[in-house]
Amino acid sequence: MRPIDVSRRQFLASAAALGVIAAVRPMRPAQAAMMPSPVGQDRGWFADGKLRYRRDGMAKVTGSKVFAVDIRARDLEGWPDEQSHAMTIHIPRADRIYEGLDLSVLEPDGLMPDVLVDAATAQADGLSMPDPDFYGEFFLPAGQLPPMLGQPVAIGIWHDYERFRAARALIRFNNDIFRWGAEAAQPARAPYGAAQYVRIGGSDPRGADVFSAMKDYVVWPATSPQGVTWPGPDDAAFGAAVRHAAAIRTEFDSPPEGLRVFRRHYSSQSIEHVTMEPENGNAWYDAATGTLHVIGASQSPYSAAEHILHLVTESRFTLNRLDFVTGYTVGYGQKEHQSFPNYVALAALYGEGRPVRLVLDRWQHFQFALKRHPFETDMAIAVDAEGRFQAFTCDMIGDGGGVMNFSPSVGTVAVTAAQSVYYFPKSDLKVEVWPSIGVTAGSMRGYGTLQSMAATEMLVDDIAAEIGMDPIALRRINVIGSGMKNTQGAVPSGQMRIDEILALAEQDPLWTGRAAKKAEYEAANPGMLYGVGFGAVQKDFGTGAEAAVVSLEVTPEGRLAMRHVANEIGAGATTAQMLVVEPFVGRPADEVEFSVQDWPQMPLVTEDQPYTTPQEEEDQLALNPFWVPRFTSPRSASNSAYYFTHASQQAAQMLLRLGLWPAALSIWGGGPDGGQLLPEPVTIADARWQNGMLTARSLEPLSLERLAERAHRDGLVTGACVHTFNRWAWAEADFDIDGQQFRAPIDAISVKWGTGADAAKRARMSDGGYAFVPRVKAYYPPVQRNNAGTVYYAPCATMVELAVSSGSGEVRILSHKTWLECGTQIVPELVSGQLEGGVAMGIGHALYEDLPVGADGPGNGTWNLSRYRIPRASDVAVWTQEGHVLPALSDNDPPKGMAEVVMIPVAAACANAIAQATGHRFDRFPITATRIQEVL
Amino acid sequence: MAIPKISFSATINGQKIGPVDLPEDLMAVELLQEYLNLTGTRLTCGQGVCRACTIIVDGEEGSRTVPACITGIAWLNGRSIRTIEGIAGKDTDGRPVPSPVQQAFLKHFSFQCSYCTPGFVNAATVLVESLAKAPIPVAEVEGRILTALDANLCRCTGYVRYYQAVREVILSTPGLTVDGPAQTANATVKA
Repeated sequence: MRPIDVSRRQFLASAAALGVIAAVRPMRPAQAAMMPSPVGQDRGWFADGKLRYRRDGMAKVTGSKVFAVDIRARDLEGWPDEQSHAMTIHIPRADRIYEGLDLSVLEPDGLMPDVLVDAATAQADGLSMPDPDFYGEFFLPAGQLPPMLGQPVAIGIWHDYERFRAARALIRFNNDIFRWGAEAAQPARAPYGAAQYVRIGGSDPRGADVFSAMKDYVVWPATSPQGVTWPGPDDAAFGAAVRHAAAIRTEFDSPPEGLRVFRRHYSSQSIEHVTMEPENGNAWYDAATGTLHVIGASQSPYSAAEHILHLVTESRFTLNRLDFVTGYTVGYGQKEHQSFPNYVALAALYGEGRPVRLVLDRWQHFQFALKRHPFETDMAIAVDAEGRFQAFTCDMIGDGGGVMNFSPSVGTVAVTAAQSVYYFPKSDLKVEVWPSIGVTAGSMRGYGTLQSMAATEMLVDDIAAEIGMDPIALRRINVIGSGMKNTQGAVPSGQMRIDEILALAEQDPLWTGRAAKKAEYEAANPGMLYGVGFGAVQKDFGTGAEAAVVSLEVTPEGRLAMRHVANEIGAGATTAQMLVVEPFVGRPADEVEFSVQDWPQMPLVTEDQPYTTPQEEEDQLALNPFWVPRFTSPRSASNSAYYFTHASQQAAQMLLRLGLWPAALSIWGGGPDGGQLLPEPVTIADARWQNGMLTARSLEPLSLERLAERAHRDGLVTGACVHTFNRWAWAEADFDIDGQQFRAPIDAISVKWGTGADAAKRARMSDGGYAFVPRVKAYYPPVQRNNAGTVYYAPCATMVELAVSSGSGEVRILSHKTWLECGTQIVPELVSGQLEGGVAMGIGHALYEDLPVGADGPGNGTWNLSRYRIPRASDVAVWTQEGHVLPALSDNDPPKGMAEVVMIPVAAACANAIAQATGHRFDRFPITATRIQEVL
Repeated sequence: MAIPKISFSATINGQKIGPVDLPEDLMAVELLQEYLNLTGTRLTCGQGVCRACTIIVDGEEGSRTVPACITGIAWLNGRSIRTIEGIAGKDTDGRPVPSPVQQAFLKHFSFQCSYCTPGFVNAATVLVESLAKAPIPVAEVEGRILTALDANLCRCTGYVRYYQAVREVILSTPGLTVDGPAQTANATVKA
């Protein structure tokens, strides 16, 4: 989630509609957890100090119940055994008035649903979709024009499986169940979002900008059903940016001597993510106690629980308790801030006391699950006589489908990534994202950057050919260096290492020998056209408002217990987070509870408006030590390695600083004469863990068990629960705990003292067994950093070798090689698995996957894998691929989020390789065999 | 209403099921999930395309895979079936003892979300069993794996670690190749 461009105006409009303006919410109303599963029972994953396999490996490889979709009512203790089954009914067209459902086809066989919930039912019972601007409405009322294909009109509930499946067979693909009225045209709708980022750099790429989003502002134009009203040069708020942008555009129209402008148009398609676990959930409403139990599949469980809470409390249904439980793992990539968990909860309210299971079949999943945005992109780069890029313009128009969801931020993330790996002295980037009748597009792997950066990489390759330079050499003379500013005017974090990758790629035999190999291959394989292509990108990770909570405590016996907000989406976060504490506490966590959403230890308050709160207001709010800008963030593919690791390691460092280290000093300094410590004074900077033992300089190595025993005996800190926040920089705060005054990159902490704590300390531990310690002072990154877009990047490049059949147009990938830099690899096997999977997905985007966006698109309910090709092993050169990860800069080089970047360069590399093979540059993804055939 | 039914019996993971009256058009995946609570056989496409629901049918001619989402119980009637729940053994404490294929998938970090993993386990298991009856030259192993597993779709992994694991099982298990365990150097993913 990266809603960096949801303006305060937009937020207030949407909040006003909900009647929840600036409500400060307590953190405890919704309880959520991870469902019981065999994960955690297996101890074999970590042995003798080594990771043997992923923590959830045994449960997963034996087919245990780890997904929400695996759960039936009888699996859950306390639930009734009887399982009801529900089905959403989705409308397949959006060009006629919907007049209602006609389910008479079910009547002869007695298959009518036991309960049917539609718009009228929901309205009568006071049920409405939380944040409907973002999620859409639950059901289309009769008498209205469908706003989109695939919009649900009702949920049917059957109390036995056999009638359910028989009814489903009669309803599926049956468009006669919808009663239609007159044809109607879609009304004009306002764009979901639009923004413009202008930068005029100074003479020094590392110096002050003349103008930039970071230094000045982002241009937010007015939008209405008539379209986007871009401000004029005299606009009071945005005029300066407009004038700078106009100067760039004027220069592009009439470039001075020595400057060549290359303009191209690119099209990127709508994609179905095909998470193999469909949208699903199982829920039980116990009216007698007012308790709603939900098993949901979501990458954002906290938000899902919050929304369900509001959904039910604002209806006629009594809600005294909500238990939202996530599957242990999630079929991921498509389940972030989706509306489906709300449908699951709603269905349960009508279950007549029985648990209700709601699962989309794959046709419905195509029809309703979130999609990747298609974009139409116009790009231009001005290049001087030496091949140096002087200016860049990019105009992107996105199709967000039927409901807004994250469209505004997908648009801005896409356009601010368009610079790819280059430094541009001047740039003007504009984006608009529009509604359509298509299936809603949302947060998807790449978050818009695949669409923009792949285009840039195709354009740069094209320019290289036009000016007669080696494509990698052209990239190297234009690559962004450390300390240089991005197109938002922000300085990226740390060293920019993309040029190390370019240098390796430039010398690779596949690259240096590509011309000779082309001649050789084509001679040996008549009818085949050989090509090698390259692409290099760097992808941001994080949202600009990353928050996390972690607790780590040690038992008197020396066992480490962790609680974490992270939930497993498959990428291995739960394995990794257990391991990352080792440098500070000597070994991985022994016990862990993930997906924890109930944090009595951390009694914080938040408005959850990290992007829109004005600086003065935030300064005032931050005076309250219980206030944080956001409590926690959703899980997406790239945010755990960096942001969650920081939180985990801070908890470990606090446990070391406040508990284990003082315990060590107590042991080393024991005795009347100051013990072994007296002649060898040490500070915590001397602390080292060697073979699981804590030592410092020459002092006696101490086991965690011994330290824990002493920490508990002396009533030292034995548990630390920390909250962290990052707005393109870490929030810090001053603390005063047990006589230690220090500043740390956390914004809240609670501690737990050991069993020997005195009565006063024991009395203070009233927050879930912890004592919240108010910070002395907080230092939040300025809200202006919201304009940075991003500062954290992971660079990646891919080289593809392929052959094209001149007869059929079929592309066969012969081999590929990817270079990646991701800081420290927590688990190298998990990194390479992400890399290989990302490359496969990128190949699908480049060559195969395509969904129509109009009436023939997946919203019509007829799409499935029989007509939507995703890559198979035979499509991805499974035996002939390589991956290289650059070594970390140091032993504390932080791990970087890398799961998204790895899918992007391969798409451009495929296009560039096809260009070398065929002599034709394609500007539209996917580059299918049919499209190739058309030009050969 | 009267939903047409058949009398169904089968052996599933070594356990006899039935006779029991079931809807005649019931698919195997429905039988497993909704009637037997064996949810490790996972449903994705419902078309027999993705093979996440791959199960093993044993017969006199050997084992074979079928997609449970489009295989009706009428065809399975009287047959012997293995699902993912029947692949691993159990130790004396009831803990799972993974099969060689499962062990290799663990060691190679082959899966991520794991939704497709049961299908891969079953497809690879049948491949290994077929090679035990008819071993092949080492040089043909990679091609044979591709042929046997190419129908199984995965959206997380890019397949590499599944394939490397299966190759290791085949090359390290005596009797699966005609020219003995050997090392190959083609798979060069070295992150």
